Amino acid sequence: MKSIWENYTTENAYDELMYSEFQPRPVSHSLCQYLNSLKKTDIDKRKIAAELAIMEMGITFTVYSDEGNIDRAWPFDIIPRIMDAREWRVIEQGLKQRLTALNCFISDVYGEQQFIKDGKIPSETINSSKNFRKECVGMKPRHNVWANICGTDLVRNKDGIMYVLEDNLRVPSGVSYMLENRVITKRVFPELLQGIDILPIDDYPTQLQDMLASIAFADTDKPLIVVLTPGIYNSAYFEHAYLAQQMGAQLVEGNDLVVKDDNCVYMRTIEGLEKVDVIYRRIDDDFLDPEVFRKDSTLGVPGLMRAWQAGNVALANAPGAGVADDKVVYAYVPEMIRYYLNEEPILPNVPTYLCSNKEHYDYVMDHLAELVVKPANESGGYGMLVGPHSTAKEVEAFRKVIQADPRNYIGQPTLAISTAPTLCKGKLEPRHIDLRPFILQGENTFVTAGGLTRVALRKGSLVVNSSQGGGSKDTWIINMEGN
Amino acid sequence: MLSRSAERLYWLARYMERTENTAKLVSVYMNLLMDLPKGVEMGWQQLLRINGSEKEFYEKYKSANERNVIRFMLADDSYSSSLFASLSAARENIRTTRELLPDEAWEQVNEMYLCSKSELEIVANRRSRVLFLKKIIEGCQRFSGLLSGYMSHNHPYRFIRLGRNLERADMTSRILDLASLLLADSRSDELRQYETILWMNILTALNALLMYRQHVRSRVKGDDVLNYLLLDKNLPRSVARCLVEISESIAQLPNSDALPQRVVEMENYVQAIDTREATQLQLRAILDDLQNKLGGLHGNIADNWFARMED
Repeated sequence: MKSIWENYTTENAYDELMYSEFQPRPVSHSLCQYLNSLKKTDIDKRKIAAELAIMEMGITFTVYSDEGNIDRAWPFDIIPRIMDAREWRVIEQGLKQRLTALNCFISDVYGEQQFIKDGKIPSETINSSKNFRKECVGMKPRHNVWANICGTDLVRNKDGIMYVLEDNLRVPSGVSYMLENRVITKRVFPELLQGIDILPIDDYPTQLQDMLASIAFADTDKPLIVVLTPGIYNSAYFEHAYLAQQMGAQLVEGNDLVVKDDNCVYMRTIEGLEKVDVIYRRIDDDFLDPEVFRKDSTLGVPGLMRAWQAGNVALANAPGAGVADDKVVYAYVPEMIRYYLNEEPILPNVPTYLCSNKEHYDYVMDHLAELVVKPANESGGYGMLVGPHSTAKEVEAFRKVIQADPRNYIGQPTLAISTAPTLCKGKLEPRHIDLRPFILQGENTFVTAGGLTRVALRKGSLVVNSSQGGGSKDTWIINMEGN
Repeated sequence: MLSRSAERLYWLARYMERTENTAKLVSVYMNLLMDLPKGVEMGWQQLLRINGSEKEFYEKYKSANERNVIRFMLADDSYSSSLFASLSAARENIRTTRELLPDEAWEQVNEMYLCSKSELEIVANRRSRVLFLKKIIEGCQRFSGLLSGYMSHNHPYRFIRLGRNLERADMTSRILDLASLLLADSRSDELRQYETILWMNILTALNALLMYRQHVRSRVKGDDVLNYLLLDKNLPRSVARCLVEISESIAQLPNSDALPQRVVEMENYVQAIDTREATQLQLRAILDDLQNKLGGLHGNIADNWFARMED
């Protein structure tokens, strides 16, 4: 019988699990041994069991299409991605360091602006950022933390080094899938998990709840916490409902809330109006409050900004936090770490060329076919150019787009991002992956053990976004000490 | 609890109850047809009449044969009271209130929905239909069971209880309506010989046959069955019992205002119903009136708790 590893290759990129077709890395030794002990039909059966579980648990995401919104089952690969806890602990420190510096930066931007005054970043970069909100100037959220929930995307290059690709500081999603992936793995491979020392991840909802309670302005023992969702047609609705349920918080939509003349936020209940202390909002700034931002927003709550400015309700993430979630500002994060924390960055950035800078711009224009070029403010992998994977015509078309608005584009070398074995038609094949850990910051800072591993299911593809053919894997951080 | 969530839980319960009732109704009707001799004509169109959906049916189908009626009542997702449409609506409602219910509740409804979706085509076949309906009824029972066993009997639970019992009372009255319809038909002389079989099936549809025997302790007779299903305060599916449940739920909810009074009026009205002297036509009028009053009660509940309160 043919091996499931037949023709597996580790030549094109760093492979997270394998040195070569025949030799697993120490962390994946038990897994490989176990997989080799299964018959091919057994592996298929596990895959089918996982798909069934996903359907029954109703783990879906919504895809927008011309035919309307479709709820798709979450694409999940049953082969986990594994990392040694010793490596992870360093990454964890790096992530805490990074978010701490980012929050110092956001506080500074809306406060004294010392970073700008000291010439560390051009003031135009901040002023031209569409996520800079002048309404936030002078505000002081509790603990001086603006970005309470952050999803940072990490990728490993061929050199084996983990790089930070971007920091998602607006409304990062994916954590519910991380949690559900583990639930499914426990169902599918119960005998495998028993023998391996994997760090648990299921305390995230508790940590989230503690963090949200810690940012309430009012000194109440039990602040009323709600999750504000744009509603059932949002692609991450499943996650909003899931997190609310896991925290025992109320899931609300904009029109369930009302801001009264006392600048307090209330929710409409069967017993009348009830005061809300903390809102975990899953709505972008633009739609948050039609009195201040987009007038046509029906998703938000009129007066919410008033209530926040008056210190009567805490919002996570704080409005305006997105100013640091800009791919141009990203380039300055290592400098922020040095400036605010007086430390060297633990996690490196990907080298970044800013098209607003003349020298960088020329470089990008000369090397367009080799680079990845991204807009500064998009998420979901939209509107970007992957030079080596594009036709000459596409490259030229993109050149015009950059020329029209240089401030809004950055270039980065195309990384050979790492791969992991992924089950494709009954065989294991290398597929590119990234990692999105979630970091919580309020009174304390917390990092999930691992994060959400996203995988580009199409052969050779580097795009891991679920809206564009990406899937996910369970992520195991394994304690090797004692083995 | 949010007014919006209260409304969605109430409807979740109504749609789950409707799903179960539709399944039960179709399966009992199949049974009845098998019990009656060939000569007694009793068509499938009667099933349409009890939901008042004949007009909608004939807009889509020419003849009320078994295949069409079954398709319409079980699988037609454009007919809002079909089993599949009810189940889909229940799923939408629970999807938006998941945070208030135990995990298993969502998984149960979602599983039933996925199962029905994949089996819609096979309900034309009688044998598969019997199995399908059994699965649905069991699923609905599991849903009610896990809520009562896993969930605090708090405000969300009370709205579920409210929705379930209002829908149940409505369905019981419609099933009684069906009986009176069958007996009132012009060919009823022949059918009358089989009246006992008819009433036994009605009791079965409401899971009341055993309880009836223990309670009435005589052979199955139309008047007794009617009285039992309308007025008995202990039988879970009698109209009177549903009103007791409704009244208890309302009493424990905040801001109930004039609602307890409405329910008392409703209870008095039901207890005063006298079917013994009623002709078939009068009986139908009584049951119609009862259904209208239940509709009115629903309106009161909606106005009281679901309407957006003025700030």
